[in-house]
Amino acid sequence: MRERPWPRIGWRNIGRNPRRTVLTALGLAVGFFAVVFMIGWMRGIMAELVENATSLVSGQIEIHDAEYRPDRSMFDTLGGREGIDVEAMLAAIDADEGVTAAAPRVYAGGLVSSGEATSAGMFLGVDPEREVALTRFLDELVDGRLPEPGAFEVLIGEEMARQLAAGVGDELVLVGSAADGSMANDLYTVAGVFRTGLVEFDARTAVLPIGDLQDLIYLDRDRIHEIAVATADPAEADAVAARLAEALDAGSREIEVASWTVLNPVLVDYVGLAESMYWVFIIIIFAIASFGIANTMLMATFERRREFAVMLALGATPRAIVGTVLSEAAAVGLLSLAIGSAVTFPLMVWWATAPPSLEWLFGSVTLQGALLEPSLRVGYDPAGWTWSAIGLVLTALVAALYPAAKAARVPPADTLSGL
Amino acid sequence: MRTRVLVLLAMRNLRRHVRRTVLTASAMTVGGALLVFTFSIGDGSHEQWIDSGVRLAEGHVTIERPGFRVSRRIEDRLPAEVRRAAEKAFASPEVALRVVATTAKLAVTGLASSAAGSRPAQIVAVDPAAEAAFSPIDDRLVEGRYLEPDDRLAAYVGVELVDRLDLRLGSRFVVQAQDAEREIAGQLLRVVGIFRTGVPEVDQLLVHIPLATADEWLGSSGDVTNVGVVLDDSAATAGVAARVERALAGPVAGGEARVMGWREANPALAAAVAIDDFGNYLVQGFIFTIIAFGIVNTVLMSVLHRRREFAVLRALGLTPGQTGTIVLIEGLTLTAVSGFIGVGLGLAFTWGFFADGLDISGLMDEMTFSGVVVEPVIFPLLRTRRLVQVLLFILFVGAAASVYPALRAARLDVTEAMKFDR
Repeated sequence: MRERPWPRIGWRNIGRNPRRTVLTALGLAVGFFAVVFMIGWMRGIMAELVENATSLVSGQIEIHDAEYRPDRSMFDTLGGREGIDVEAMLAAIDADEGVTAAAPRVYAGGLVSSGEATSAGMFLGVDPEREVALTRFLDELVDGRLPEPGAFEVLIGEEMARQLAAGVGDELVLVGSAADGSMANDLYTVAGVFRTGLVEFDARTAVLPIGDLQDLIYLDRDRIHEIAVATADPAEADAVAARLAEALDAGSREIEVASWTVLNPVLVDYVGLAESMYWVFIIIIFAIASFGIANTMLMATFERRREFAVMLALGATPRAIVGTVLSEAAAVGLLSLAIGSAVTFPLMVWWATAPPSLEWLFGSVTLQGALLEPSLRVGYDPAGWTWSAIGLVLTALVAALYPAAKAARVPPADTLSGL
Repeated sequence: MRTRVLVLLAMRNLRRHVRRTVLTASAMTVGGALLVFTFSIGDGSHEQWIDSGVRLAEGHVTIERPGFRVSRRIEDRLPAEVRRAAEKAFASPEVALRVVATTAKLAVTGLASSAAGSRPAQIVAVDPAAEAAFSPIDDRLVEGRYLEPDDRLAAYVGVELVDRLDLRLGSRFVVQAQDAEREIAGQLLRVVGIFRTGVPEVDQLLVHIPLATADEWLGSSGDVTNVGVVLDDSAATAGVAARVERALAGPVAGGEARVMGWREANPALAAAVAIDDFGNYLVQGFIFTIIAFGIVNTVLMSVLHRRREFAVLRALGLTPGQTGTIVLIEGLTLTAVSGFIGVGLGLAFTWGFFADGLDISGLMDEMTFSGVVVEPVIFPLLRTRRLVQVLLFILFVGAAASVYPALRAARLDVTEAMKFDR
């Protein structure tokens, strides 16, 4: 006889009433799918929010003059009034291995007029080549092409184009306040139209080659407001920002190197809040599922009172009976884990690689200034999967505790004589 | 008579395995309670989002010229007679009953400039007294005061715009926008108050000025671009919008006015509500699928254990349909009773929060999305419609879960089942 036959007895018992076992396992499997999917979907939403907040129009790290935020005054350029050697600084940033792209930017406010209509605008001066590597909003234009430096060309948002009734080839007057206090204005041709999906941004932004904007507002070429930096993974941004601050000697040069977690703290809070929701999900779903398994185990043990009585009469300890029942519960748990995984993971892979759009259900949303397109995109979360699996098996075991205790207390003599 | 017997048989079966019945019922009870609680909290927070969103915008129902939403220009303002007709419609008895506040405002985009630079701005000219009742923005004061009826050249400015233009209380700045004659017109304003809503798009852009100032500046001769109402319940939106649209049938047909509900006017807000609802439905769907498996299991087991009993009943003259009905009644009763007890418990649990709200500020600070400020205190809301939905859903789950066991009982092979003694 084997040393400990109890787990085997428990395992064998799940085959005694296959229909019941499968129904119970299905309940738990649905629970597993629900938890893994909901966690994954939330992960996907968070990842998309962070990506859109950090790569659509802004970088994951922004480098400014220490005075620039929050006023964003046009005079607070990097390096103060003297400016900086932009090329040298970009080279220093590019040298960091965590940096995938960096681009200088100049900002100014002004009016954009098509003669017919006028709209208040935000002028964004960029280095087109570097900007394309950094952000996504210039990657695919709705119409036209990127503006050529020195050709008095401008790129405008789709919403602004609509409001101004202007398209590619039309001329616009840009009016802005210049650094010397005068009103600056000049005539530009629309080279292209872009779309981010952020309606406010698309309605207000005009993109110019950085030198052209500096010329318009009388800002020297070595005076820029910002260097936006992209890293391979938003999660690395803090570490890269710290390294850059050191490399650029930010403290003594009065430069601020801020990662997106500093620039958008509420988004960080929101991601944290969503993660704490995981636990609520896991607990609620498995609590409901535990009723099912408790029920099944109770039925199963009730049917086998005679068997337990025989085992006890033959010398098995109550502890061994508990072991048998718990093994059965664990076996049901593992079975449901197998069913659940077999259904869940192929779907997760599908939804992670090619998320189905949910556009038919709802439109896009902006959350804390970040765009969220409706899709069923899910993110992988091995830690969440592990916890869900542990939660599932634990649920099965905990739910079986009471039936196990009942079974261990079967009075052998009465039960055997009573039937 | 027959039915009574069937019900009696079903009831007796539930009592036979009290522990099993109670366990299955508990799952359903917890599920029912959770359903009521989740939906009350969900609907309550959505109502708060909607209220907050529409008060910062143009109301649950707003009327504007068809082109205005896109152009945001002053030439797309409402003709004075349309405005009068709309206000008359708002004051009509059926509508007025639901109206909490009304607004009439002139909104244009322009450029705000100071010595520190220029920024785009959303300039909204309002009647100070009416707007203070309509919008929460006057309560969002950081410094100074909200506009007052006699104000001239006064501006109530978002805190981020103030920062970016390097303004302070009492400083002067210039706004420029296209006027009624399509010329660029400038206007000097003085900051009388600074607000912070927490919504970045609002704090960076919004400037409130008195309507009288806008008249002088833009030559709008008292016209507005929007009139709107806040209602006591967002569920009344469609009804009120339809009534107002009927009252304005002429101008609407003539392309001079467009009546919009908040979903149409704030698509991002509508999407946020839809996403949140979708998430709730998904979770509840999962929970009830799990519960349904439990019910199927319980009822099926009780059927399989009683094959002999059913066989005897059939031998005594019950039809397969009647045997199935017994099982269906058993399953439905189990679900309905436990589910409804759960709904009652959920209501009792939620009850405490109806008055004071559920404070989740320990979990999150004030947050914003899609132009809405989300308060960390949620007041639950349970509409009759939702309650009926919940009850019907529970019945549906019970019925669906009992169908297979009922079919099994109905298809019983009588002779085979009576052959052996268990």
